[in-house]
Amino acid sequence: MNETVSKGRPPSAGVPPHGVATYIAVVSLSAVGLAVLGWLMHPLKQDDILALVVLCVMGLLSSSSAESNIGGRIGFSFTSIILLSAVAILGPFGAAVVGAVTYLLVVKTDRFQVRVFNSAMASAIGAVGGIVYLLVGGASDVTPVGGGAWPLLLGVGLPLMVADVAQCLSNAVILSGIVRLSQGTPIRRFVLSMLGTSGPIYIGYGVIGFLFVVLWIPAGVGPFSGVLILAPLFTARWAFVQYGDEQRAHTRTLSALAAAVETKDLYTRGHSERVALLCELMAGSLALSHQATEVLRFAGMLHDIGKLAVPTRVLRRADRLSGEDLGTIATHPERGVEMVRDIEFLEGSIEAIRHHHERMDGRGYPAGLRGEEIPLFARVVAVADAFDSLTTSRSHRDAHAVAEAVAELHRRAGAQFDPTIVAALERGLVRHLWEPTRLEPRLMATTGRAFDHDDPAASDLMAGLASSEPAGSESDGADPLLAREAAP
Amino acid sequence: MTTRARRSKVEVAIGVLGAALTLLALVAAGARFADTAMFAALPTIGVFFVAIVIGEIFRITLPGSRRTAPLATAAALAFAMTVGSTQGVSADFNGPLVIAVTAVAMAVGSIPNLIRRKRVRLPDLANRLIGIAVAALLFREVPVWEGRTVLDLQTAWPAYNLALVMLLISAIALTVEIFLMASLRAARSYAPLTRTIQDEFRAALALSAALSATGALVALAERPLGLVAIPLFLFPLFLTQFAVRRQSAIRRTYRQTIRTLSRLTELGGYTEEGHASRVAALSMSMGHELGMSERDMLDLEYAALLHDIGQVSLTEPIPGGATVLAAPADQRRIAHDGAEIVRQTGVLDKVAVILEAQTTPFRQVREFGENLPLSSRIIKVCNAYDDLAGDSPDSAKRDAAIERIHLGLGYEYDPRVVNALVRALARSDQ
Repeated sequence: MNETVSKGRPPSAGVPPHGVATYIAVVSLSAVGLAVLGWLMHPLKQDDILALVVLCVMGLLSSSSAESNIGGRIGFSFTSIILLSAVAILGPFGAAVVGAVTYLLVVKTDRFQVRVFNSAMASAIGAVGGIVYLLVGGASDVTPVGGGAWPLLLGVGLPLMVADVAQCLSNAVILSGIVRLSQGTPIRRFVLSMLGTSGPIYIGYGVIGFLFVVLWIPAGVGPFSGVLILAPLFTARWAFVQYGDEQRAHTRTLSALAAAVETKDLYTRGHSERVALLCELMAGSLALSHQATEVLRFAGMLHDIGKLAVPTRVLRRADRLSGEDLGTIATHPERGVEMVRDIEFLEGSIEAIRHHHERMDGRGYPAGLRGEEIPLFARVVAVADAFDSLTTSRSHRDAHAVAEAVAELHRRAGAQFDPTIVAALERGLVRHLWEPTRLEPRLMATTGRAFDHDDPAASDLMAGLASSEPAGSESDGADPLLAREAAP
Repeated sequence: MTTRARRSKVEVAIGVLGAALTLLALVAAGARFADTAMFAALPTIGVFFVAIVIGEIFRITLPGSRRTAPLATAAALAFAMTVGSTQGVSADFNGPLVIAVTAVAMAVGSIPNLIRRKRVRLPDLANRLIGIAVAALLFREVPVWEGRTVLDLQTAWPAYNLALVMLLISAIALTVEIFLMASLRAARSYAPLTRTIQDEFRAALALSAALSATGALVALAERPLGLVAIPLFLFPLFLTQFAVRRQSAIRRTYRQTIRTLSRLTELGGYTEEGHASRVAALSMSMGHELGMSERDMLDLEYAALLHDIGQVSLTEPIPGGATVLAAPADQRRIAHDGAEIVRQTGVLDKVAVILEAQTTPFRQVREFGENLPLSSRIIKVCNAYDDLAGDSPDSAKRDAAIERIHLGLGYEYDPRVVNALVRALARSDQ
């Protein structure tokens, strides 16, 4: 991906530090310098003018239609392909011009500074590619290479591949500088992560760029080859965009329908959404991969879906619940699993949904798992679930403040919660401001003294019922011994 | 029923045409196979054969369960339009040979799919073969100018001119294929032909553009590159195929999710087992019958699946989940709640509109000229039928249900939709 600075990620938030402006000036000057060097190595000929104009127009079209965010983090950049093809068709100077034009005249409402930076960067990338191509022995004029697979592959294909790598690297390095200055991300980490995500795609660009050049010059199709090469790619991009849309639609549908369950139980309005958010937060602290984060988020979103199978009258019961009612409520994790197990992509979330009411001391439900036996994601959802319950107002108490809620979770760490997960939540909350959810008094009045099964105290109550011990003996969960042991 | 017999003739006709074409091509190509010049063309033929086989093995399924093999089609198109070069590509073969080799390659490539117990539909294969045959004959056999074929003429053309002609021929071939496919689908789903043609074009356009371009691409690149061009220039299409595959995978996942969610009310004890999926299936066959477009049908399907989702907000389930027996005000509230839930997604607005109107009596349209979506009218009828008849095999119960719906004809229910219901039920009985 020829990554550029986009509107969504301006080089600076607020007032630009003067370092950024200096950096942009340096990049621009180097771009000019490289272009001059390119001209000295391989000046543009008069016959190249048509090709130059066509490639510039194609570059402009591609950069103007670029989709900055395609779901699943896959995307093509036609610009990279065009910039690479220009290297072999026009040489370094021509490639530099194509790069500069592509972003300078782009039909987008980017800020002037962003526009200049992107343009300078693309120009420098083009020139670097061109110079490297010539240095490793790429044919400066493709026509006399003639036909035949080997001469073309060795004389054009291989050098073009090297130029491709050079372009990828220079893209990463130049971009890392501006990100370092504006956001403080270490250069090395940025370069590595960018090479990891867009490195493989660059190999594809190399192959396609080669095909483009072959079609343009040896096959004699000329500018028209753009249409032929780009048609399948355009379809691919169209399909990727559709894929992204569909995936977003899918996620939103799932979350909206999870929220639908909450219409049954007014207490928990917005609960699944908040638990999903908390799970995402903790995934960050636990350094989970993108994919694992998604799985965890869905588990958080759908953890209570099984409540749909619990009769509304039990959920809204105003007076004390009987043991039987508690038993009914305790079936909701299993019922939830039943509901979503046919959805293949939720495979990873299933166990977290099933076990999100287990306790570290083995007195939770439904399986009574203990400690590490409880799946990691289930332990995460359990903490998120309890934290949201504590920081939401209930008819008998106000919402706890964040610090209070965390303290309560720490007190229960070891007995009910996994201490490392509670610590992860705490780290997550440092990065993200969390506002306790205060329900409107009107809403509270309608719910009466309804039972909230997510309240950690409820877990004690149900644990008490499950084991034969009388409820309440350890019910406040404030076992000082366990809590002390668990403290990091 | 006579319509069924008549319509499945389309499948048979296309199948027979494909088989006849293969046979004729084999004979015609075999007659020339003794030529010594043919041996020079063997490497070219062999590489194309392998490419088509591989493409056929990695076929994909597009949304709407359309099975296709983009890589095989593009390779076959390029084969049909190969002009030969000094780089070891011989073009010394005729149209029938292209058809025969393609037919055999498609058959061979289908074997792994058969072994993996994936469905292979002969008419679909025949259909694609006919498309390729059109390209091969247009390029190599049909005299277009003073008794000379495109293959003879192209030596005097500049490359971009040849490229344009190749694109044109591919486009014609793929258009023929799309038309045939549309008539096949019309026959399968009992939908009007004009409707399936539109649907088919919409579904196939993007991929067909990529296919025509790639066919021309490979054929042109063979001149400087030789046979290496075949795998190399299929690479962009490989990316396309990958993207399209993911697109249809997420579409399937989405459907699966909606299907599962439609069962939430069943698992919650609000509605009867299988109600939502039966209403959806019946709505779909009526939608086909009434000539709805594929896009509208997707919304109809989702709406039919989710039509009872509003019941989750009920404190106590309705007995048997049968909304048709509930008071009109309650019905409306459930419909409204359901629409609200679906509207929350932000992406299913059309479905929400359908759900909102699913209880509105048909007379509102007649008397007040209200605009009631066809999908809502279909769901209203299907829901009533299924609430009354369930999945009971008892024909007396089903007749009673139909009779009761007939009582509300014109007032509650749209007569045209009820007719479609009767026809759809009659067909499913066969």
